[in-house]
Amino acid sequence: MSDVRTPLLSVNDLEVTFYVHGHAVSAVAGVSFEIMEGETLGLVGESGCGKSTTGKALMRIVEPSKGTVLLEGVDITKESGKSLRSARTRMQMIFQDPISSLNPRRRVKDIVAEPLDCWKTVTGLERDTLISDLLSKVGIDPSVYGNRYARQFSGGQCQRISIARSLAMRPKLLICDEMVSALDVSVQAQILNLLEDLKAEYGLTLLFIAHDLAVVKNVSDRVAVMYLGKICEIGPADTLYESPAHPYTEFLLGAALEADPDSPMHAQTLEGEPPSPMNPPSGCRFRTRCPNATQKCADVEPLPQEVAPNHMVSCHYPLTIHHQSTTRTPLEG
Amino acid sequence: MSNFSLEEAALMMVEKPEKGEPLGLFFWICVFWIGLNVFGAIFANLLPLPNPLYENFNAINIGPGLHHIFGTDDLGRDIFSRIVYGSRVSITVGIGAIVIGFGIGAPLGMLAAYRRGRFDAILTTVMYVLLAFPAIIATIAVLSFWTPRSMFKIIVVIGIASIPLVYRVIRTATLSVATKDYVIAAKVQGATDRRILMKELLPNIAPIAVSFFLIGVATVITLEGALAFLGLSVNPPTPSWGNMINEARTVLSQNVWLAFFPSLALCLFLIALNFIGDRIRSHFDVTEVKL
Amino acid sequence: MSDDKLLVVKDLTTTFATAGGDLAAVAGVSFDLERNETLGIVGESGSGKTVLSRTIMGLQPRVNTTVTGSSIIDGFEVVGASENEKRTIWGTEVAMVFQDPMTSLNPVMRIGKQIDEALRVRLGMNRKDAKARAIELLELVGIPSPVQRYNAYPGQLSGGMRQRVVIAIALACSPKLLMADEPTTGLDVTIQAQILNLLDELKERLEMSVILVTHDLGVVATRTSRIVVMYAGRIVETGTTRDVFYHHRMPYTRALLESSPKVSNKSHTRLITIPGRPPNLLNLSDGCSFAPRCKYATDQCHLVRPELQPSVEPGHSFACWNPLPVNAEATLP
Repeated sequence: MSDVRTPLLSVNDLEVTFYVHGHAVSAVAGVSFEIMEGETLGLVGESGCGKSTTGKALMRIVEPSKGTVLLEGVDITKESGKSLRSARTRMQMIFQDPISSLNPRRRVKDIVAEPLDCWKTVTGLERDTLISDLLSKVGIDPSVYGNRYARQFSGGQCQRISIARSLAMRPKLLICDEMVSALDVSVQAQILNLLEDLKAEYGLTLLFIAHDLAVVKNVSDRVAVMYLGKICEIGPADTLYESPAHPYTEFLLGAALEADPDSPMHAQTLEGEPPSPMNPPSGCRFRTRCPNATQKCADVEPLPQEVAPNHMVSCHYPLTIHHQSTTRTPLEG
Repeated sequence: MSNFSLEEAALMMVEKPEKGEPLGLFFWICVFWIGLNVFGAIFANLLPLPNPLYENFNAINIGPGLHHIFGTDDLGRDIFSRIVYGSRVSITVGIGAIVIGFGIGAPLGMLAAYRRGRFDAILTTVMYVLLAFPAIIATIAVLSFWTPRSMFKIIVVIGIASIPLVYRVIRTATLSVATKDYVIAAKVQGATDRRILMKELLPNIAPIAVSFFLIGVATVITLEGALAFLGLSVNPPTPSWGNMINEARTVLSQNVWLAFFPSLALCLFLIALNFIGDRIRSHFDVTEVKL
Repeated sequence: MSDDKLLVVKDLTTTFATAGGDLAAVAGVSFDLERNETLGIVGESGSGKTVLSRTIMGLQPRVNTTVTGSSIIDGFEVVGASENEKRTIWGTEVAMVFQDPMTSLNPVMRIGKQIDEALRVRLGMNRKDAKARAIELLELVGIPSPVQRYNAYPGQLSGGMRQRVVIAIALACSPKLLMADEPTTGLDVTIQAQILNLLDELKERLEMSVILVTHDLGVVATRTSRIVVMYAGRIVETGTTRDVFYHHRMPYTRALLESSPKVSNKSHTRLITIPGRPPNLLNLSDGCSFAPRCKYATDQCHLVRPELQPSVEPGHSFACWNPLPVNAEATLP
């Protein structure tokens, strides 16, 4: 269904390198993906895999060291100064910590109006109407709460205010960085539903970054799985969860805890912990923990290959193929 | 309390207090006291006070009494009047020097913490080198050579000496705020650097800045007292709290009051300033109260 | 009867004196725990689960706190006992695993020394025996190369490894009850699975009982035999894990289950939310605390608080005036 649509965002070979005590750490090591207009792409992975850094690099909050980020055909990585500031308003970001993403010393109305005040697009009465409208949309009564300070609100309410602020400039793309992971289950569900409603109403395109597989599945059309700075698998949410092609995805899904006593207990849990990004393994980055790894995995870096329509995996021995074929040559070439 | 910080914070989230700790009555007494001193300093020549320089040799070294409520000194000058006029020097030097320190140190500190990178690294190194000089000795050295001494020169010298201190405090305060998500959020919305500094950072470091400003004034007043004691402050016969104590030193055996009253004035003023500074910080520090 | 129970909690109430009045974080909680059993305490933030777990151990703050009722651990009455008396059971009878391993470990002390300390102070071991036992414990909790890690500082270990060290410290004096307060919150899914497996395994091997305090229904679903559901400081439903998940009678329990997203959901599944947010414990009504958010609430619910009453299954009880029908099984999504 996404064939006819044009990509709103296309990321090509994005790299982010940090320098820690003189050592280069590639937090994001060559990530490419596209997000179609009106689509939600989920980005999952464990801490340190570079998913948040990817989101921040798209907004140029951290500087990409390589690669291009095209938003509606304009390369964000080449912008600077005022045009960068202006480009950023077409993308917005919602952060993980609802409390620290709002200035405790400013009133709710002013926080939501911040982008409007920066750009002076609307002023006076029009501005006030717009702010009231936005606050009502996210379920905050502007007449009661508009003049309160941000520090007086609970986590869920803060996240609603953040959403209102991010929508003020009518962005095309919303990057949600772990936006519900600090919230209680019941509040989390409210925020997720609100996000789906607003997405439809404002015609938003979402990049939804989270570590919680269930949450990502619930909101995403497609899901990308990251491991140690690279995307190892990307595909439609339902098929990717049903038949993961990358061994890492399978482990990740197996470790996810379902709120159901009858859910099958996965006998195999992934042992060990991810290697340091300062010193990533050669070839496939997952090979040190992968039960199927062979010499080839150490020698050759697997390139993305299509295992099903729109379903790409970077693995020499993708699981779906592995299940179908009866023979597998451990050493090729 | 600390054991339950998380749970309690969650409980309290439902209705959070509008403000932090209450200011309390003693705070207002202190404010009144500072106000009274500043008022006296400004309007000293309009008040019905005897001339602080008028030497009455018929009334030398008399104790507190009806005509001279704090008594007179060894030249027969009215001590009360000299204390009120002396506050002019102390307060002007105190505020003036810190205004210079803040005027230069605070913007640099904020900018360094916000920009980071090379700008921060170079500036911070320079400031730390300056901090390594013992400020008092440097001040004494400069003032001993830069004659004739005037209040203006004293203010400039102490003011410059306070820049690295202000820089360090403001930079640290800004650093803790500059990494907050709301600063990134503002950047993402297209706010200019100037706007982020003024709207997001300044309000959050203001309580610490105000508090440090007041405590800085108190410190400079003490320093001026020390300089006066060494004879490096304003030239006699102009009174300042410091040089009054210095002059009293020689006649301490004959007239205790001469040292007592200026010391008391200095002491009360400093206590009040420090208390106000500390209270303001804890009152406006919402985060400290909450978690 | 109660002799063979490891823990008997009866009518336990913890009240904090706050500026806004008395606040009952835990109100009239009663339950008990068998030997070698895993019990889950589930609730959202503010439900009182953390305060409850600490009050059971006698770890409540000394100032502005009143505790009434009784909490008997292996025959020892915790409520009213002095700090010195309680010290005789801390570590040996009951030990705690905290949520944040970074703050519960001393960052400037080698991890081996931190385990040694418990052994030497509590068990009077000499330096050499303590070290040998500490290494044994590190091995027990699955830390690779324990001899080398003995000398590591907490900062040199990953989050999962640190939590293992915290568990090793808790196990130092072979407690009969392990209180785990959100032991896996903040850890990655694969690491979370490892830690939960470890707790399961240790429980069997060391014949302990475990209380898992968590907000995550996924954590308790397959790891506990019984569950206590808390809301606003009270138990609203308790029973075997299967009964709570499949035969719950309390609408809050169902709402909690329904509002948590599931991996098995299709993408863009609309979540069923609980309106409103957890109540302010300072001004609770006389009725059911959940009534303001409950779609089944009647006048009676708002006026009179329901007590726990038995359901059809043994050991299953709930506090509700308008409980869900007995055959609630089919309703679980």
